[in-house]
This record gives sequence, C-alpha cells and structure tokens, in this order.
Amino acid sequence: MKEHTGLYDRTFEHDACGVGFIANINGDKTHSIIENSIRALINLEHRGAVGGDMKTGDGAGILLQIPDEFLRANLEFELPAAGRYGAGVFFLPSDEKLFTSSTALVEETTAAEGGLFLGWRKVPINRSALGETALQSLPVIQQAFFSFEELQGEVLERKLYILRKCMESAAARAGMDINQFYIPSLSARTMVYKGMFVSTQFTDFYPDVRDKSFKSAIALVHQRYSTNTFPSWSLSQPFRHIAHNGEINTLRRNMNNMRARESSISSPYFGEEISKITPIVNPDTSDSAIFDSVYELLVQGGRDLPHAMMMMVPEAFGTRYHISEDKRAFYEYQAAVMEPWDGPAAIVFTDGIRIGATLDRNGLRPGRYVITKSGQVVLASEAGVVDIPPEDVVEKGRLAPGRMFVVDTEKQRVIKDNALKASVSRRRPYRRWLEKNRIELKGLFGLPHPVDLDKETLSTRQRAFGYSIEDMITIITPMALKGQEPIGSMGNDAALAVLSERPQLLYDYFKQMFAQVTNPPIDAYRESLVMSLMSFVGRERNLLEETPEHCRQLKLAHPILTNDDLHHLRNTYIPDFKGETVSILFPRSEEGGELQKALERVCTEVEQKIDAGCELVILSDRNIEADKIPIPALLAMGAVQQHLVQRGKRHLSGIVVETGEAREVHHFATLVGYGASGVNPYLVFESLVDLKQRGYIPQDLTIEEATENYINAVKKGLLKVMSKMGISTLRSYRGSQMYEALGLNSELMQSYFPATPSRIEGIGLPTIEQETIQRHSSGFRFDEKRLDHLDSGGIYRYRENSTKHRFTPLAIVKLQEAVRNGSYSAFKEYSAEINDIEHNLCSLRGLFNFKQGQSVPVEEVEPAEEIIKRFASAAMSFGSLSQEAHTTIAIAMNRLGAMSNSGEGGEDNQRYSTLENGDTALSKVKQIASGRFGVTGEYLVNAEELQIKMAQGAKPGEGGQLPGYKVNDVIARVRHSTPGVMLISPPPHHDIYSIEDLAQLIYDLKHANPKARVSVKLVSEVGVGTIAAGVAKGKADMVLISSGEGGTGASPLSSLRHAGSYWELGLAETQQTLVKNNLRGNIRVQVDGQLRTGRDLVIAALLGAEEFGFGTVTLVSIGCVLMRQCHLNSCPVGIATQDPELRDRFKGKPEHLMNFMLFLAREVREIMASLGFRRFDEMVGRVDMLNMNKAITHYKAKGLDFSNLLQPSSQLMSRISNQTSSQTSSRASHKPAVPIRCMEQIKPDFSASLDWRLIEEAQSAIEDRQPVLLKAEVRNYNRAIGAMLSSEISRRYGEAGLPEDCITVEMRGSAGQSFGAFLAHGVSFRLEGEANDYFGKGLSGGKLVVRPPEGSKFLAHKNIITGNVNLFGATGGEAYINGTAGERFAVRNSGATAVVEGVGDHGCEYMTGGAVIVLGQTGINFAAGMSGGVAYVLDENQLFDTRCNLEMVDIEQITEKRDEDFLKRYIQRHIEYTGSRHAQDLMQMWDELVPLFVKVMPLDYRSALLKAASEADGESIASTHNSEQIKTAGRS
Amino acid sequence: MGELRGFLKYQQKVSGYRDVKERLKDYREVIQRLPREELIEQAARCMDCGTPFCHSFGCTLANLIPEWNDAVYRGLWDEAYDRLELTSNFPEITGRICPAPCESSCTLSINDAPVSIKEIELAIIEHAFSQDWVIPQIPRQESGKKVAVVGSGPAGLAAAQQLRRMGHQVTVYEKDSAPGGILRFGIPEFKLEKAVIDRRLEIFQQEGIEFETNVVVGEDLSARYLKRTHDAVVLTLGCRVPRPVPVPGSQSDGVYFALDYLTQATKNLYGELSPQEFISAKDKTVLVLGGGDTGADCVGTANRQGAKKVYQFEIMPKPDEWGKSWNPEWPYYPKIYRSSSSHHEGCERRWQIKTKQLYGRGVSIEKGIFCEIQWTKDPSGRPLQQEIPGTEFSLDIDMVLIAAGFVQVEPSKLLKDFGLQLNERGTISIDENFHTSTEGVFAAGDAVSGASLVVKAMNQGRGLADKVNEYLH
Repeated sequence: MKEHTGLYDRTFEHDACGVGFIANINGDKTHSIIENSIRALINLEHRGAVGGDMKTGDGAGILLQIPDEFLRANLEFELPAAGRYGAGVFFLPSDEKLFTSSTALVEETTAAEGGLFLGWRKVPINRSALGETALQSLPVIQQAFFSFEELQGEVLERKLYILRKCMESAAARAGMDINQFYIPSLSARTMVYKGMFVSTQFTDFYPDVRDKSFKSAIALVHQRYSTNTFPSWSLSQPFRHIAHNGEINTLRRNMNNMRARESSISSPYFGEEISKITPIVNPDTSDSAIFDSVYELLVQGGRDLPHAMMMMVPEAFGTRYHISEDKRAFYEYQAAVMEPWDGPAAIVFTDGIRIGATLDRNGLRPGRYVITKSGQVVLASEAGVVDIPPEDVVEKGRLAPGRMFVVDTEKQRVIKDNALKASVSRRRPYRRWLEKNRIELKGLFGLPHPVDLDKETLSTRQRAFGYSIEDMITIITPMALKGQEPIGSMGNDAALAVLSERPQLLYDYFKQMFAQVTNPPIDAYRESLVMSLMSFVGRERNLLEETPEHCRQLKLAHPILTNDDLHHLRNTYIPDFKGETVSILFPRSEEGGELQKALERVCTEVEQKIDAGCELVILSDRNIEADKIPIPALLAMGAVQQHLVQRGKRHLSGIVVETGEAREVHHFATLVGYGASGVNPYLVFESLVDLKQRGYIPQDLTIEEATENYINAVKKGLLKVMSKMGISTLRSYRGSQMYEALGLNSELMQSYFPATPSRIEGIGLPTIEQETIQRHSSGFRFDEKRLDHLDSGGIYRYRENSTKHRFTPLAIVKLQEAVRNGSYSAFKEYSAEINDIEHNLCSLRGLFNFKQGQSVPVEEVEPAEEIIKRFASAAMSFGSLSQEAHTTIAIAMNRLGAMSNSGEGGEDNQRYSTLENGDTALSKVKQIASGRFGVTGEYLVNAEELQIKMAQGAKPGEGGQLPGYKVNDVIARVRHSTPGVMLISPPPHHDIYSIEDLAQLIYDLKHANPKARVSVKLVSEVGVGTIAAGVAKGKADMVLISSGEGGTGASPLSSLRHAGSYWELGLAETQQTLVKNNLRGNIRVQVDGQLRTGRDLVIAALLGAEEFGFGTVTLVSIGCVLMRQCHLNSCPVGIATQDPELRDRFKGKPEHLMNFMLFLAREVREIMASLGFRRFDEMVGRVDMLNMNKAITHYKAKGLDFSNLLQPSSQLMSRISNQTSSQTSSRASHKPAVPIRCMEQIKPDFSASLDWRLIEEAQSAIEDRQPVLLKAEVRNYNRAIGAMLSSEISRRYGEAGLPEDCITVEMRGSAGQSFGAFLAHGVSFRLEGEANDYFGKGLSGGKLVVRPPEGSKFLAHKNIITGNVNLFGATGGEAYINGTAGERFAVRNSGATAVVEGVGDHGCEYMTGGAVIVLGQTGINFAAGMSGGVAYVLDENQLFDTRCNLEMVDIEQITEKRDEDFLKRYIQRHIEYTGSRHAQDLMQMWDELVPLFVKVMPLDYRSALLKAASEADGESIASTHNSEQIKTAGRS
Repeated sequence: MGELRGFLKYQQKVSGYRDVKERLKDYREVIQRLPREELIEQAARCMDCGTPFCHSFGCTLANLIPEWNDAVYRGLWDEAYDRLELTSNFPEITGRICPAPCESSCTLSINDAPVSIKEIELAIIEHAFSQDWVIPQIPRQESGKKVAVVGSGPAGLAAAQQLRRMGHQVTVYEKDSAPGGILRFGIPEFKLEKAVIDRRLEIFQQEGIEFETNVVVGEDLSARYLKRTHDAVVLTLGCRVPRPVPVPGSQSDGVYFALDYLTQATKNLYGELSPQEFISAKDKTVLVLGGGDTGADCVGTANRQGAKKVYQFEIMPKPDEWGKSWNPEWPYYPKIYRSSSSHHEGCERRWQIKTKQLYGRGVSIEKGIFCEIQWTKDPSGRPLQQEIPGTEFSLDIDMVLIAAGFVQVEPSKLLKDFGLQLNERGTISIDENFHTSTEGVFAAGDAVSGASLVVKAMNQGRGLADKVNEYLH
C-alpha cells in the first residue's frame, strides 16, 4: 500500500531505536530473561518516542525462543515434541469477513504445502494499554501451530519459511496488504511479540509475557523512534531474524539488485520450490524489514548466520586496516557477489539458537554489553539498562565499528569477532579464488597518454554538449590544477533548470539528497579509510552459491576511466569477459519522437549483447555529427538500467558510459548513482589539451598530471557526494538513485528513473528532445561567428544574456539606494525588479499567484514592529564575516526586537554586555553546529534561542573549514582555538547519528539553558517533512527549513548548485506532514533561503512558515555587492574578510539593515491588507490563498503542476481521517480540529532530571560560593546530569564559574547520556559505576571522574566504562576515566584535559586544544583532522603510528622534562581521584615506561605555538599541554 | 579572474594625454597608451566579480569585461580579442571616445579607483589589428535577403555588420561623402582619427557590405524604390536637429551650430572643402554655448584653428568637484565636474550663465549680453531659472558655437514617404521589435531614442539586427 498525499511520501519515513538482547549462555530457558529484557526496554524508553496523541508509541517488541512450556499449558490441543512443530504469530484483519478468509487462507495454504494445521490461539491482549492511534489500527493477534510430519531442525525451518512465503503470496493475491495480513514470525524456534506501544505498555498489553512459565534462553528487544506516527503494527520490530537500529541508505540499489538476482537464484536446499519464495522483498515495507527478508534468504539458502551478516554489512577492509589477508580476500570476494547494505546500523540477529550483534563499518550506533559470572550476556544501546551487581561482572565491552559478537547457546559460549570471522573467511579458499579469477587489466589506471586534440571541431563538440566558458575555466581548470573541486561562495539564485530559457543538461534537473538527522553524513576526508570507490564489474552469479567463478569480474579501483582504460577494455582479449559498444546517438527529424525510438533501440541492443554473453556494455556518444545527436547520457543510463532491472538482467553485465557530456562532479555522481559502472569523459580529456595549449594549464604541469589531477578531483567529489548521503562504498552507491528530480514529469520518471521522486511534474521526453537538439544545433551552426564561441555560462558569475539570477545588478543597486536613503519608493523598485517574473523567472515562487481576498485597510493590519519580531538574520559566523559586519547585523536586529544569529563561530563574551549608547551586539540566537566552536556553558546561557544546525543550504551534508590564515587572535579566542591554526567543522555532529540522538541534544540544551527555546535547522529535500516530524517529536520548539539555494562563505560549487531542494517544496512538505501527524500545534516553523521581498515572505507564510530568516539580502543591505568571493578573504566592501585593510572599507550601518527590515514588513502589511489578513497568525498555513500562475507560457514551466504542493491542510486532514476510518470502524468519526500553526509549545519534560535536586542542595555554593558535598544514586535515564546546575553557575559567574571543587557530587550507578554536559568550572562529579555516550559533552571547566563500582572483579583498564563520543566539543575542565572509553574520544576538544585508560576509533579527531592522556590502546584513525592540543599515548607495542592518522600530526618521543612532569602530575591526579590500579602499576615502572609514551603533536599547532612563544619572549608557553597556558598564548 | 588581491597590490594607472603644447599643433589623437606590460597589471586589478556591474550595469553593450580583463592578465590577447569582438563591432572607436560608464560602475569604484577598462579595451583591439587578427567574417551562408540601411552612424554600422554576418545582403546609404555619420564628422580628428574608421570600413566592405555615399534617400532614391528593392529597410538616421538658443541675434552671421562647425572642420582637414566655404576660428574670440562633450569638441577644434580666446558658457550649475578616485554615486555615472582634454588646451568655462542677447554690426556677430542665473524649483518641483540682478555683463565675441544638444530627427521627405509615425519627442516610434509603423521598415539609434552615447546606438543597431533577422526568416 502506497500512502501518498500531498508532498508526504511514506518512503521517506525514518526510524531509530534502542535495541538489545539478553541471553543465558548455557541455553537455560528462564523467565528472568524475559523480565530483564522488558526491564531493559523500559529503561530505554527515552530512546523511543510518542506521537501527537501523547500515548501511541512508535513500536516495541521482543523476539524469543518459543515458550514451549507456556504454550502447552495454554493450548487446547496437543503439540508435537518441542522443535517438531512450527509456531506462527499472525496480525490478521479486524474486519470479520476478511478475518475469516485470512484464517482460511492460512489453513488452506498449510494443507497445500503438505503440512498439518494444528490450531489457533487467540493471544490475550489488553486494549486499554494502547493509545488512540494504535487502537485504530490494532489487528487481531493470533498464534497458529503447524507440523510437517517428522521434520525438524533446519529442514523444518526452511519448510516453514516456504510456507510463510506461500501464505504471504496468497494474501497478496487476495488483495491484502501488510497492514491487513502480516506474519511477525513463523518458526519452530522463535516467536515475536510486538506492537505499537512504548516499552512501558508492553507487559500490560501482552499478559502472556508476565506468566512465570513464559521462558526463553534468549530475548531480543527493540524500541522504535519513528519520524512518523502512522500506525503500522507490522513494521514495528523485531522482525523474524533481526532488529535494526539504523537506516539503509542504499535501499533502492539493494532492492533493485535483489529484484534482478531473483531471476538467477537457485539452491539445492530449495530445488523446485525456489519459485515459491519470490518475490524476496516486499517494497512496501521498511528498510529494516527488507534487510530482514534478504538476510533470511541468505540464511535459509545455507549461509551461516555470521557469514550472511558479513556479506550484507561488511566491515571496512581497505589497505589501511590491519586485518588478515584471508579476511580481506573474503570481503573482496563477497564484494563481487553482493553490494553492502550501507548505512548506520546496529543489528541484533538470531536464529533462535545463536544470538549476536554487529555494527556498521562506521560504528554509528552504540552497543554496550556485559558478560556476567552467572552466565548471562546483556547487550543494549546503553549501559546500565539491567541491574547487575558489580561482583557478578566478568567483562564490560562495547561493539566496535564493523565488529560482531555472538552468543551460541548450543555450544554454550560467547564467540568474539576474530574467532567468528576467522572461521567464516577460511571456509573456502577465497584468496586463491580471487587471485585466479579476478580480472585486473594491466595498464588500467596507468598514467594516461595525452589524447589527440582535434582543435578544428573541439568548439563544435563542446557546444553540442553544452559546454560554457565557466565549465572550462571555473570547473575543469581548477580540477586539473589542484586535484579538487572548485570552491565558491554565496547562494545559488540562478534560474531553476526547468525555468531556464536556455537548454539545460538533464543532470541539472536532479538534486542530490543528503543525510540529515536520521543518519549522519560521513567525513569523507578525515574518515576516508571507511570509504571505498572499488567495485567489481561484470557478470554476477547465483546469490545462493559460492564458486570461484563468482569473482570472475573486472575489479575497478574507481569508476573514472581514461581513454586508454577504455581502449584496453575494448581491445584486450580476456576469456569470459567481453566488452561491446552501443551507440547512443539519435538522428534528427522534423517531426520529433526520435529520442524515444533511440532509447528503445539502445535498450534492445544492450539486452541482446548481454544475452549473447557480453559482460561489459559501453554506451557511447562518440562521433556526433550535425544530424547525429547524443542522447543525454543520464537518460540513456536510466533507460538501460531500468530496462535491465525489469528484465532481471541488470546483474549480468557492467555498463560503462563513454560520454562527452560529463564534466563536473555532479554529472559523474548522477551517472554512477543511476547505475553506471564506469564513466569515460573523453571530451574533458581533450579539453585539457586545449587548456594547456592556451596556457590555462601552466607549462610545468604536464597533460598527464593534469589528467590525473582531474580524475582525482572527480574521485574526491564522488566520495563527497556519497559521504553526504551517508554512503561509504561505491558498490552500494551505484544505482542507489539518491536524488530528487525537479521539473521532470512523472511519465518520464516512471519510464527511466522510477525510484526517484519528482513532485511538481515538469517537462517530459519531447521537451528533453527539443532541448537536446537545440543544444546540439548550436554546436553545428556556422552562419555566424559569435555562435562559434562558448557561452559565458553566467551561473557562477552574473552575465547579461546568459543564465538568469534572481538578484540582478539593478536589484542590488536599488536595494542599497533604498536602505541608505530611507527611500521606500526605491525599495518598491527593488522588489518590483526581483518579483518581475516576466523578465526574471528564476524560482518556483515566481509561479505562484495570490488568490483574490477580501481586502482590508492597511491601517488595520498588525503593525510592522510586531511583524519584524518574526524576522531573523541567517546564521553567518564571526569568522566568515568581519567583526564590523557581524556586530552591525546584531545591533540592527536587536534594536528592532528581531533575532540575530551567532552562526557557528562562537561569540566574544564582551558582546554580552550593553554598549554605551544602549545597543547590544549579542546574538540572541546561538548556533550549535558540528564544530561546536566556542560552545561553552556561558555561550548557551546568553541566548534566547539555541539553534542546532543539522545542515546548511549551500552544502548540506558537508562540513567546512576555516583556513589558518583567517584565524586571527580574536577569532581564535572566540572559538577557543589557536591563532593561525586551521579549524574543521565535521560533516556530522558527532553526537547526532540518529533521531534519538537529536532528541538527546535537544534535551541537553534545554538543561543547559531552560529559558531558551531550541530550534533545529534542516535543509529542504524530499522527506524533510518526516524529519521535521521527528524533530517535533524530539520536543524542539522550532524547526527551520532552509533552502538548498542558501548562501555560504565557502562551498564546493557542485554542492552549491546541486545539493538540496527548494524551500517552497520543503516548507510545504513540512507543513503537510506536521499537520497530518497532529504535531504542527506544538512547534513553530521558520524558513530561509533567498527570501527577498514581501511577496516571498507572504508566500512562505501561506505555505506554513511563522518566522523568516534572511542571509544574503542582509549583507546586501550593509554593502555586499555579490562578489561571490567570500572564500577568498578579498571582499572589497569589508564584509566577508578578516583583512584589516579591507575591513576598513566597510560602510554598513545598523540603520541600513533596519530600513530593509522595516520596508519589508511594510510591504508584507500591504500584501496582507490586500489579501484581507489583519493578524499575521491568520495567514500562516493558508495555502488555499495561493494558486499557480497559469498565464506563464514559458515552454518548460508549462508542464509544472503544484497541486501536491498547494494541497490545503484541511483537505489533507479529511483525507487522512477518511483513510483511517475506512480501515478501522467508525471509531474515527469524531475528527478533532487539527492546528495548522503553532498554538502551544510543549513544555520540556525535566521529570527525570537530577539537577533540580542538585541545584536546591547546592544553593549555598551557587549563591555564596560555599563548598558543598552532595551524594546521589543515578540510573541511565538520568540524562544530562549537571547541565542545568551549570547553567545556574554560568548565568551568575560567566566562564570563570566557581572555585575548584566548590560543588562536589558523589554518585553511584549507571549515568545516563550526556553526563556532565557543559559542566561549569567549580563543579566536580565523581561517579562510581559507569557512564554512557556523550560523557562530558561540551565540558566547560568542570571536573569529571568515573571509576568502576566498589567490589568489581574485572580489570578496569581492559573494560569499557564510558560510551562513545566523550568530551565532544569540550572547552575546558578535566576528566579522569578509570577504564576504557568508546569511539571518538575527545572529538573537537578545545580545552579539556583528560586521562583515560584506552579509547576506541577516531580518538581526538578534529581536536584543537587541550590535552588527552591515553594509558593504553587506541583504536584506528587517532588524531584525524587534529589541528591543536596534544595527546600522549602509552604505546606499549609501538604500533600506535599504524593506528594514528598522520596527515596532520607528528608523533614525538617524550624528551622534554616539561612533558614528563605534565604526564606525572596528571597520572598522579588520576590515581588520586580514581584509585586506578593500572595507573599505579605504571607509576611504579615509570622509568621503563616513559620511552613507550608518545606525544601526538599537530603540525599547525606546533608552528603556531613556536610563533606565539617567540612573540612572548620565550615564556614557558612551549609546555604546550596545559590548556590554560595555551589559551593565554592564543590571546597574547 | 585577474590576480587575487591584485587591486590591493597595484594602483590604478592611466596613460593621460599628450603634452598640451605639442598636441595643439596638430590634429593627431590626444590620448596616449600604456605599455602592454603595465596594462597587464591594470587587468590584474579586476576582481572578476560575481556580479560584474561594469558588464551588466555600466556597459550598454554588455561587453564581457571581466573575461577579457582576465585574458589580458594571462597574456592571452587573442582570447581577449575573441571575447571583446563578440559584443562590439568597433571597439577601437568606443575604446577612444566612450565616456566609459563601465568604469563608473566598476565594483572597485565603490571605494577605490576603477579598473582602467577603456584603456584595456583599446589595447586589445589595437593589438588585434597589429597582429592581423581582425579579419572579415564572411557569412558562411547567404540568405538571399536584401537589407537597406539608411544612415551610417554607429547604429547603422553595427546593424549592417550584424545583418551581413547573418548572411543578408546589406547596402548602406549615406548622404554624406563618407560613411561614419557622427563618428566621422561629429567627432573631431584629435579624438578619433578618421583612419581608424576607414580601417574598420574596409573590413565591412570585405565582408560584403556595400556603401552608397552621397545618396539622400527620399531624394536621390525614392523611399518606395528602396522598399521595393529590399526585403527590409533599416533607418538609422540619427537625431540631427540641434536645440537652438532662442535669443535675439542668434540668426546672425558667425553663430553656428556645433555639428555644422565640427563637420566643416573635419571636411576641411581632408580637403573636401574649399577655403571659402570653411569657417575658421583663427584669430577669433569664440564662445561655445553648452557645456557638454560637443561643446568641448568645439573648444578643442577652435583652439587648433588658432582662436584668440575661447569661452564656454553653460546654463546649468557647475557640478561638484570630486577629487577622489572613487565614484560617489556608484554605480551610476556621477554628476561631477569633469574636464575634457580640450579644456586643458585653453578655455574659460563659466556656469549658470544665460545668454540674453547676441548682436553685431550688420549681420556679423560682435557681442553678447549675458547674465548669471540661479536655479530654484517651482511649486510642482520643476526647475526654475532666475536671473541674479546686477550680474549682467557683455562680452565681445567673433564667433558663437551652439552646442546645446539635439532635439529630434531631421524632417525629410524620406520620413514622409515612408509615412513614419514620430513620437512626441520628435523621434521615430518603434515597437519592441524595432519595427516602425511601416511594414518592413525598422529603426534604431538616436533616431529612435534621441541623441545619446555611441555604445547605446551600437547596442540598438545590434538588437535591431537580431529582430530584422527574425523578420526575414
């Protein structure tokens, strides 16, 4: 069932969750396993969410062994012996007639399959435990029992699998979808209890689980947090074999491949019955469900449990990993069999005998486990979910990235990663198989030979493929020179492809999607080792077999092929590998229609070649002529891909595209994204020769080098595109179709790009043909010389008569005239120019019309002063802007009572005080971005709004960096870093890998400043509405929908243009989804992105926005002239520069910006009056007042259809209630009025906060600085302990806080996430027990100590004690950790000092200050992107340098006494605070150990310190480690 | 782009004019050129703006200024020429005489000295000529259509060349002895040597454009005939009727309109006039009425002819002096006090002077009566002039040149025969396709929009060519 109303599409729902399992290693079935697992679920409740009715959970469930004893006692019929019958759980329709037919269906199918139907059991349930929404969709829950004579064990499991598949097919044939007929489990081993509730409702709802005889040796649990709240009982987890916390980003690719492979699977296990199990996947279910289906197939098809998991979720095995050759070979072999199911994942899996868990290669979900003496294993997303006495603990551990862990109840032991994988990867001689069969062409990817330049026809061909001067000079040249994508700045206000009057390349209609909130983008640079562009090309074989021939494929290290490479592929004879070429040119004809014919011909030819045994098809547009026109390569690729998937033949051959069209990263990314195995951009290579001849490529760079550079730039770009989508490997990216089309009609999309959303219709094949011919013809017109020349382009640099831009030169001039002279008439000229769609139709909103309203006198409309309060200046950091510009904006906005935004660069605390003239330069909105620069407790309390920036319109899914030369003294101070040292903002927030993490950060921030509202900034893309719903459920006060066209200080050009969608769509989708989920009433909505005029703003309000942000136009008001060179530090008007000489040229005044805002509000009032709105609130969400301007005759815009976008909320709601009522009974007849704007914001739930008590008991310390000692017991649901207490301190004492140890709190237990977040100076937490993720987040001067509980028997330094991402963004303070910590320790630390006894992967990443002492092992990729601070690591086996990322750091010996003293001092303190046995041992052998310590020193930092030291007369600054001293150095 | 931060590294540099003493002795061009190396530095000052106001706001032709700046900076003169030539039919002319609104709107002009765009333009095209890159572009296909262009000023020439390059057969009809219109006879030799025009016209002819000079359409050739023998007729007649100074005595001998005077001077220089016909300023006290560029041209010409004394009176107030390098009215062409090369050659300039009367003994001018005025506004905001009592003065003069602008298209038989509608300003009415009220007859340039800059006329000529081409297809 495809639920699809308005812009909302269920496909884009996301979820994340708490997962876990409990098992008795010896296989004893006990009821306590059930009890404990449910307790664990309840303790994970905060990881789930409830919907708009405040009661319906997103789903929870448990998978256990069949409770044979319990069932026998509760059945009216006899069961065969345990293990010889199958038990199924059924969700059946509540409609009586359907119910009867479905039970009959079950029984009949059983008989048909030769089984014996034993009987039904109606599962007792308690309806009162459910929320309204869950009740409406409650199915009839029944169990049923089957036997197949004497079958048992795997044979019976397989039979039951086939039986279930047959039942599912029968149900589908009977027209029942999965909400009507669904089988949660059918097995002789396992059973699933699940439903739409939160964990606390579990035992109430299913009384079964309370029965003492209800026993199992294993229990797998899952608690869901979904972005939506539409009831779907069937999609709650666990599934039959797995529970999954994560997202499959490449689902489309995986599904298509599975569909293709279905045609060629066979297995002796199934024989003839194989046909009964197809289709393997049901595309209407969730990513997790689909994963489960394929996993099930692999396991039933004979692969071992861990083997199947290793195929689907392989760990990273690049050369930078130290793993066994056999294991690497195993993974490489599997890569030829199946692509990874890529995305963040913690997966728990079981077959009823073994139960295990694994993490994705990036380790983007947490997994903590405990093994007890009494023989239990508890694994969960958090530590401390079940009480275990300290003396019972044998081992505390965590799942590391890519690692697996299995409990085998049959063998009665725990099997760890190495043991598991060694046995799997040596089952077959994979290494030998690979060596013999893998095809690696000699000479492939060798240094390319210079290509011949055909100068005579070059320009003709370039024009035929739509080249502009910008393509040559702005795109290709920098790539060839520097080996990376060109950078640009400011926003993209060029006309949309579908509104452009110039022929556009098909690529331009596709927008890249990106990860935000529900899964993280990956850092393709600093964490490149998890990424891979390697792929196999050729013929895939039977998925259910393993033979040497499976890897008889061509291994490509990356998909960009030179002409030489292609020549080799065409001309080298390789047995079993044949490459053939299909031309993708089409003839010109007067009447048209040739394109479609040509596409059909290409598809047929490709298929024929594959049928004839060809393993590689090359689609080629070489040899164009005046009447031989190239099919747009992407279209050809899409058509072939789609054709082959439908024929089930896609996996039989690789497809390489040889095209003159592709030149920028986006082109390659789309081609591969739609299935190309490789791309040969031959015209680029030829153009490079031309550029060299013309001198654009300098003499000292050879063509070979330039070509290599270009290819490297494309490779980096591809990695970037993949990483921002959250995808690690090209194998799974290829064909994943992670794009949104804009302006293409559904007929076209259905035929060639069926999985890609396109929501406003647009042009179809005939127009594409017309555009293509038009472009082609321009290359072959010789009648005039000026046509011989490439067009200017005008996309990145404004050109008259080229691409249109919304901000025209005249508009800039008029706006500045208006604000400087206070002239409203000039403002009207400005807005008329911008709104002039006759001449400048650039954006979707240009196509809207206001409907006729009952106008009111303008005097009756809400005053401008009130409207202005809804205005905000967009987030632009101090650092990207000059101090002058940044404060001018803040002062202007503050004077108006509007909001200004700090941006992500922190804020100078001098701005917190009022200026002499009464102005304030404080930014009311403080941004919390991934870099957390200067995010201190003090920063957070000095705000009215805390804004979590998930993405930025100009470059969603990417981080950024501030080059060292821009980091001057003031910026360094404000960002808590060192002058001259580069600063990196990571692509993801390392404390937000999922929606529940975001909820956690919201929770943290509400504690850090209970008076501020919390907002979340998202960027428009398809599905942003569902994410916004998740944000609303995470209890944010406001969600900001930013447009993909938004500005930036620096971004790769391809991201600027091609990533992210437009706010018109994103806002409308958000409004519709929030209303549909009944969440709109609780959250405000802001919009930004190229907002310019009152008209823009009113359109946004009608589409659902309450508030508005302004970026570029704010800058233009104070003097910006859209140079688009913010990234070059050369801004000639002193705005986007730190150069003092240029800053002197700044002439902006607060009055200018104030004038703009006032004029804008005035214009809004005029429009409101004409529409008949007196109050702004009345206007919000009134989409019924908009329609589409039918008068537009533009040949492309004609096809656009805004009906989805303009669907009124009222209509939407009635449609929903109709749907639900048709599904259930007439219960839903009472329809509540659903708010379409924010009515009342949700009060934060501080009920589990310990801080209330702490604040009360610490009053004397807070008010009078009197030391206090407090005690507390903590549980994992006590989260963000200390944040609110610290806010009280920062409010009063600023950054300085209280005297050291003024408030000491001794705690016992398992602390919840974000323990000690933003802890202020003077507060010391001493925790006996353990802590979870985000320990010490944003630590702001406080002290944290954690040690194992008294009585623990395990070795503290070998066991995990805190979770992942400790001390993230810490700016000061100390932490002492008596045990090891998880992944990403001290990421973005800029001032804290920490002692820890071991850390996971990516330790000290992006660190810019402070010091970290690791008294033990580190994981891989230590110090990646570390530009400041120091780390000391005890490197006992001297292999640390293999695990350290040496790109930006050096590893030094400890030779200076200062270093040694520092180490000693802090290790002594560590012993003093934690009593660490390990540290004591070290101190005893100190002299022997000193040589084993290494010091990790960032290169930039070292030189900055040396510089500072020489400036400060060689004071003791070089004793680098003390963070205080470093800061002093920074300030000197 | 040019050099990053080049604008901070290099100062603006302009070549200036030849020495006054030297240049007064001849009619050769007064401007000088910067050496090419220095021009590269000047080009390096270009910031390659994201929004280049020079190209998009200042230059009517939308010259691709940042692109050719960059090419010059890189030393790629051939590419610079290619890009320059795309938008301009005779950059060697605009490079000499255009007032360069591009420089006024250069982004650097906000707070610094602009890029020396005009000098770079001139350098590019002169270099191109010197390298023989400027070659005729023969159309690759003949359309078989014939177009008549009447009038060979900048609009007519631009239109003719564009139409020819589109493959049409073009004949240009010029009533004067040589093509060029205002370029040839309105602009003195020392600002634009006629050889420069001839060099360009040679290219035109090689491209296949035919010129019929000394032909007055409507008289020597009937409008009807023209229309019948061509598929389209283009009228680029200019706007030649000068604004009079309606005071007693303005009909006297020795009172001339500037354009007549300048035309004579040039014709004389080229020996096309007999000495008797020639009005020389030699040893005369000359008064130029009108403070604009044409007035300045008169000043320079009179001085070269050996005038005893030259006055230039302007009725409007003197604009503010502006000593700084940046433009106070960016990106607009600033209303500031300027002086042309001619003014430095000897001239007394006065502002807010009203001419009350001109008279002489007999019919020849001898004297003028003037007074100072002040400008106010009437209640409706319209400017109002008021004489300042007691400021009246008289001046002995031998010659008066009226350079008070132009008001309308010269009435002619041609206009009548074509039955063309004129608008209230006295210029030809056209629609958005440059089409006049008469089928198949198009018009552009000053004849349509009134007297204005050469670039504007060229731009209109080019725009017209596109529309005529569409019309012919």
